[in-house]
Amino acid sequence: MDWIDTLLIPAIKAIVVTLGLLVGFAYMTLAERKICARFQLRYGPNQAGPFGIFQPIADALKAIFKEEVIPEHVDKWLYVLCPVLAMVPAILAFAVIPVGRPIVIAGHTITLQVADINVGLLYPMAVAGLGAYGIVLGGWSSNNNYSLLGALRTTAQIISYELPMALSLVSLVIVTGTLRMSGIVEYQAALPLIVLQPIGFLIYFICGLAETNRSPFDFPETENELISGYNTEYGGIKFALFFMAEYINMIVVSALVATLFLGGWQGPILPGWLWFFIKTAVMLFVFVWVRASLPRARYDKLMHFCWKFLTPLAVVNLLVTAAVVLILRG
Amino acid sequence: MAMTDYNMLLERLKAQFPGAIQGESEFRGETTLTVGADHLVPVCRFLRDDPDAQFNHLAFVTGVDYSALGREPRFAAVYQLYSLPYRRALRLKVPLAGENPTVPSVVDIWPGANWHEREAYDLMGIRFKGHPNLRRIMLPDEWVGHPLRKDYPLGGEPVAFTPTMDDPALEGLGTQVLDPVSVPPVRPPEAQPHTLVINMGPQHPSTHGVLRVVVELDGETIVNAWPDIGHLHSGIEKTAEYKTYAQVLPYTDRMDYVAAMTNNMGYVLAVEKLLGVEIPPRAQILRVIMCELQRLAAHLVWVGTHCLDLSGTIHALLQYAFATREDIMNIFEMVSGARLTPSYIRIGGVARDVPPGFVPAVKRFLETFPRWHRDIARMLDENPIWLSRVKGIGAITAEQAIGLGVTGPVLRSTGVAYDVRKYAPYSSYDLFDFDIPTGTNGDCYDRYLVRMEEMRQSVRIIQQAIAKLPEGPVQCDDRKIVFPPREELDSSMEALIHHFKLVTEGFHPPAGEVYAAVEAPKGEIGYYIVSDGGPKPYRLKIRGPSFSNLQAAGLMAKGHMFSDMVAIIGSIDITLGEVDR
Repeated sequence: MDWIDTLLIPAIKAIVVTLGLLVGFAYMTLAERKICARFQLRYGPNQAGPFGIFQPIADALKAIFKEEVIPEHVDKWLYVLCPVLAMVPAILAFAVIPVGRPIVIAGHTITLQVADINVGLLYPMAVAGLGAYGIVLGGWSSNNNYSLLGALRTTAQIISYELPMALSLVSLVIVTGTLRMSGIVEYQAALPLIVLQPIGFLIYFICGLAETNRSPFDFPETENELISGYNTEYGGIKFALFFMAEYINMIVVSALVATLFLGGWQGPILPGWLWFFIKTAVMLFVFVWVRASLPRARYDKLMHFCWKFLTPLAVVNLLVTAAVVLILRG
Repeated sequence: MAMTDYNMLLERLKAQFPGAIQGESEFRGETTLTVGADHLVPVCRFLRDDPDAQFNHLAFVTGVDYSALGREPRFAAVYQLYSLPYRRALRLKVPLAGENPTVPSVVDIWPGANWHEREAYDLMGIRFKGHPNLRRIMLPDEWVGHPLRKDYPLGGEPVAFTPTMDDPALEGLGTQVLDPVSVPPVRPPEAQPHTLVINMGPQHPSTHGVLRVVVELDGETIVNAWPDIGHLHSGIEKTAEYKTYAQVLPYTDRMDYVAAMTNNMGYVLAVEKLLGVEIPPRAQILRVIMCELQRLAAHLVWVGTHCLDLSGTIHALLQYAFATREDIMNIFEMVSGARLTPSYIRIGGVARDVPPGFVPAVKRFLETFPRWHRDIARMLDENPIWLSRVKGIGAITAEQAIGLGVTGPVLRSTGVAYDVRKYAPYSSYDLFDFDIPTGTNGDCYDRYLVRMEEMRQSVRIIQQAIAKLPEGPVQCDDRKIVFPPREELDSSMEALIHHFKLVTEGFHPPAGEVYAAVEAPKGEIGYYIVSDGGPKPYRLKIRGPSFSNLQAAGLMAKGHMFSDMVAIIGSIDITLGEVDR
């Protein structure tokens, strides 16, 4: 019965996670529209079904059945490939996140995590880095000035936020002593890491905003300057895939924050998966909240901010963490 | 400065340029000098530079075609000057003979003449010798003729805008576009070879309408920016020549549709100046209240959209600003029945007296508004991202601004306290106690601060006006200008005749020409009316503040990032309906 543990269960888990993320994406768009509407003294979608719950389905059908327009001047292969390039890493990154305490079914212990690898912390960073190719090449292959500027901004952005982001995670590793996600969650049984690493949390969250191209760092898109940036030339389902990638990235980053800093599925009374869901939802709400209340920064200001403020801060945080851990452990 | 000094100045001018001044006329307190075309440039230079003259503000340049009056010479170029230090106006007229007249350009003296001369060339066919870039500004390049000329055929279509099905460009009409064809880009001739040229607009989220800006980028740094206007040109000036004075009024609403009341105000003042009528005090105070409410409404739209440009469609501030503006719109609806285009301020007074609920509604609004204002200010003033986007962006100096004919908050942000309400008070603005806020740096942040403070001052004015609002009539009692009351029509034959004459024919103001300006939310909006004594304006020239202010966009944008372009366009606060008219 070895194949059940090695093949069947992981395959089922992968399918469940993928479908879960797609449904999560669909209802995240609705939630964002609803929440933003309340911020803006409006109601938001409320016509398709009760509370507009069928709105995402209507949107998806519209995107799928739209006429496919591929402009003449684009690099066709890359142009079609890029939405997929952006989408796949976004889903992949979720694989290492534990969503609840392990359960036992018919003698098989099932961890609620697709893969518990020993470099779990490095994996989402590496995969998310790949997602930028979709945007850069998408903007490049569109052969449009606005898209090109959007794509170039992505490259400027990625080299700005990745360093402080990685440094903030290194201090986390020093505290927990493990790169394994399940280990980090277990470490937080008593105390979430946000208490021990408040600065690391802030750095990671700000960088998370930049990584997901969300306001105030949505430079590749910037609808007010670059029309729609890298995806100006995209329409229909290809545009929807880019859109999907952005929202799934947002869910992944929220889930990572919940796992790494807020204690993951650990929590009293309620079941683990519900705690995980609540913490992720709170972080997603913060994403929308930020979008509704902050103006957009300028991309060179983000570079200044990351290189001249966040990176030194992350280094200081790292050194202080290392020193304290060294002293406490003798 | 006393009148004698003014006369001495004119004497000196005549002595210095013998033969230059061909005539001098005075009408309704406005002086018009007729200058020979050969002497125009030296006379203008004298008027700008002489310490006793200092006519540093050129309000507009335009042309008048006298052919329908059978006058010779046929054309005249008109220059409306204003001296900011001495607070007085002067108009220069240059008679121009021939079908294709030429006059020397004054761009070297007032850089702001650039677009005005292009407009006069485009619409009137006056050529300006020495103009750096004399091409059409409103109409398409391939347009035939100059529509403001009196002999321009009406109803024709010299350039075919109605497509026919035989047109090869329309072969695919009605079928699905499966092969979108790409058009190779056209680079402006001035652009350097290594730069990237981006066509921003006319369909662009942040150009506030159909403005097109051609932006030349080196990386993301702006090397040059050329605003291209005229996509919304609706020929209001030409239309006005075929409407009676009263019928022109609703057209003015539709220029700067964000601030319709102040548009009405300027036009009405110009016509009343032409007629020489006195307006009852209640109407004057009501006009002040409406104009200041309109200023609040326009500034709220501005702060909301400016913030929208700098953040994203999801940012909530736009809706907060619009929710506040809604109260003002409701008040306008209460007094006039319309929200956006009220046409409430009429020639001879206001359309009708305000309903009893008006004063309480305004008071209620004045109580709630400061809280909204504070919320909006706090949301932006204390936000480092906002500050980093507007501080030091798009700065111009006071000299540059004056030279370009920039007015309104954009000019005041550079430190020049020019406000028509203070400099040439109209409609009893001199009775009110208010300050003119100014900035120092002339950047986007100072423009923001000036407008935010102007809102507070407008609240002050409205408070005083509500307290001062006298009882009495709201229209002048000249039956030749305003309709008689409805009751009189039943009993008085004379009233019926007046009513009939006003409806069928309109009134006849005396022949002459006047210029009247008011302080609109965006700056000095002025109306220059030439009357031939008939019931319709012979020529109406509208000096839109956005038109002049937008000229400064290219200068402001140089050296900044592409992202700052939207901040700069937003901070100038333009309404394309009034830029293109």
